[in-house]
Amino acid sequence: MTPERWQQISHIFKSAISLDSEARRAYVEEKCGKDESLRSEVEKLIASHQQASDENFIGGDAADAAAVLLSEEFEEHKPTLNKGQEFGSYFILDRLGAGGMGEVYLARDSRLDRTVALKVLSSDVSSDKRRMQRFRQEAKVASSLNQPNILTIFEFGEVDGLTFLATEYIDGETLRDHLRGKRLKLPEILDITIQILAALDAAHEARIVHRDMKPENVMIRRRDHVVKVLDFGLAKLTEKRSALATDRSDLEAATAMKTAPGTLMGTINYMSPEQAQAQTIDQRSDIWSTGVMLYEMVTGAKPFAGPTTGHTLVQIIDKEPQPLPKSAGAPAELQRIILKAMAKSADDRYQTARDMLIDLKNLRRQLEGRSVTTDDTERATDKKRVLVIALVAMAVVTAGIFGFNLWRASRSRGQTLVVPVTTTSAPAPAAAVPARTLTYWMTVQQFRDGKYKDPFTVAGELIFEAGDRVRLNVRSPQAGHLYILSEGPRKGTAVPGFNYLFPSATANKNQSLVDAGKEIRLPEQTWWQFDKDEGVERLWLVFAEDAVSELESAKKFASTKTRGSITDETLNEAIHDLLTTHSATKPEAEKNDEITTVKTTDKILVHPIRLEHH
Amino acid sequence: MRKTPKQHEITQLLAEWSDGNQSALDDLYPLVYDELHRLARRYMSRERKGHTLQTTALINEAYVRLVDQKNVHWANRSHFFAISAQIMRRILIDHARRHAYAKRGGGAQQVSLDEAAAVASGIGSEMIRLDEALKTLAEMDPRRSQVVELRYFGGLNNEEIAGVLHVSENTVTRDWNMARAWLYQQLTESATN
Repeated sequence: MTPERWQQISHIFKSAISLDSEARRAYVEEKCGKDESLRSEVEKLIASHQQASDENFIGGDAADAAAVLLSEEFEEHKPTLNKGQEFGSYFILDRLGAGGMGEVYLARDSRLDRTVALKVLSSDVSSDKRRMQRFRQEAKVASSLNQPNILTIFEFGEVDGLTFLATEYIDGETLRDHLRGKRLKLPEILDITIQILAALDAAHEARIVHRDMKPENVMIRRRDHVVKVLDFGLAKLTEKRSALATDRSDLEAATAMKTAPGTLMGTINYMSPEQAQAQTIDQRSDIWSTGVMLYEMVTGAKPFAGPTTGHTLVQIIDKEPQPLPKSAGAPAELQRIILKAMAKSADDRYQTARDMLIDLKNLRRQLEGRSVTTDDTERATDKKRVLVIALVAMAVVTAGIFGFNLWRASRSRGQTLVVPVTTTSAPAPAAAVPARTLTYWMTVQQFRDGKYKDPFTVAGELIFEAGDRVRLNVRSPQAGHLYILSEGPRKGTAVPGFNYLFPSATANKNQSLVDAGKEIRLPEQTWWQFDKDEGVERLWLVFAEDAVSELESAKKFASTKTRGSITDETLNEAIHDLLTTHSATKPEAEKNDEITTVKTTDKILVHPIRLEHH
Repeated sequence: MRKTPKQHEITQLLAEWSDGNQSALDDLYPLVYDELHRLARRYMSRERKGHTLQTTALINEAYVRLVDQKNVHWANRSHFFAISAQIMRRILIDHARRHAYAKRGGGAQQVSLDEAAAVASGIGSEMIRLDEALKTLAEMDPRRSQVVELRYFGGLNNEEIAGVLHVSENTVTRDWNMARAWLYQQLTESATN
């Protein structure tokens, strides 16, 4: 704008704002004449004047607004750790960054020989003992949930007066960085949000509210795109310092915020209306924030973003978000889900993360259904069958249980079982080089005339009788992480329950990593035996280049105590997702009389073995 | 209060600057900067909790400490405030920039354990944008830009601003309205882009 133009605008503006709206319109029209652009400039400025004055824009004191910033800057910085330095039992590999809470390092834990992210909290944060205590507690609980989408905390500790926490190290980027400069496709958006909600669901169950859900607190692992939610419990710790209160006990901070009109904008865009008003919050506040993130992923814009904090807060509290633009290409159902998550009143929102998660999963299923119809028919027929744990998974873990329960059941009468079975696999493209190859076969021992006959191996169909027993053998020419699960029915849920069979304390010493060419026999010492119940049993083979976090997390269930049953609902569901997602890209299967070989070009091979009897 | 050499020097420089000696400003600036920075630091460390920092109080204290009040002309006082507003602006912007830089340079991995930092950097980036808009405004309309500087960064009221700029209070009010509306527009546009 030229100074002349500016003077012209300012001249009209100055008189116009002293007039009432009608006189003002006439005045502006008269002064601008046919100069449409001048009139539009003046009108825009008058509107801005109105808003700026309503919101008391820069009406406060800059230093006051920047008090948080100043306190950060004026703090004495703790001496940082150096590359190559030893810090307790940690060896500092690199500095990853710094923030208001302290510094983050990449470190090697020499005791367990694993890489961790080491967060050294600033003394300012760690000196508040009461808050630290609460934070420890919450973070510990969240971490102990063992939910694959929650960042695992390994240790809290203090070395040389520095408080630190060691967490799982995620090689990846934050959702914020992931979103930078690009728009995500709908399947990815759903995938990310579903994982976020799975993390929240588990945390909320344990009565932990995150309080600071935002794209900066969501990491996406490079390798497999697994989403990790960071910093449960931390938000609580920082409330006072941020002057953005989310708890009644922090009235002080709330007042500080309210008495600072003209305070400039911070990252408050994901705050719920109840947070914005410094009211008591519960898990529904996290649901709001997730809704805001979902909105942003879909549209590329934050639903509430004003020029100042005040402006943004007012929008959060009062303003309905803009409907999703057509260009976003979002289905109406997604719009409904987002609006429900972002209902101003917490009572109108999704009440649990699970409810929102279910809606999103249904939506995902619908969208997938449109493109993959064959899978649906297959699924439908499966559902009609009664799934029975005929093959007794827990027998893997203890021979004792096996010997008693199943034996008695299976003795009573004869039955026919057919093993295996995977003929649906489509061949992989000829040119593709298989990344994963897995060979498996069954060892069968028939029970005839009151005694067991000599065992033999089989890859195809076979008629079984009561008491027959079977063992699974797996081998690969490559080293990799192997997991074996069985799938059984559960009442009242759409998702089957999984039993964790391999690795376990008795199988490969709890290690999923299997050397190239090593033969894994499962169960190693005993057999699986079929009982009299009819139905379909599925064994799942997972063979991956890298460890699969969900399955690593589920390891603990492979114990006699739980009988292999994965009792953590969220984890069970995450595993279900993992298996169904990966088995969708069907590996190539070759069968001869004795062995089956499956190959895939993916880094993860997932292969179901169906066992059924009629 | 006993007159210190510094007080004498600053009072002298203020008088020279008021008389039109521009080079006096070059000498004055670092002295006032140091004092304001020191005071701001002290305020912040003393009262971290729920504290609001007021520029006016800060500048007043600096004034009392730095200027020999018996021998200072009233106009020199306004000059002191004018220069202090400028300095406060620079202090805040410098901090905002450093902070923004630290954030950017911090690497993208798992750094986000910092609600406070995020808020602060939000304020920081906002400050930087305001500062830039203010520079643009100064090119078109230096006086209006100065009104904002004095009021927002210097904490002066309209009467004091009128005194510093040798204009009427009405003019200050009008300038403020126009400048604020324009800045609001600029910041809103850049926020939504």
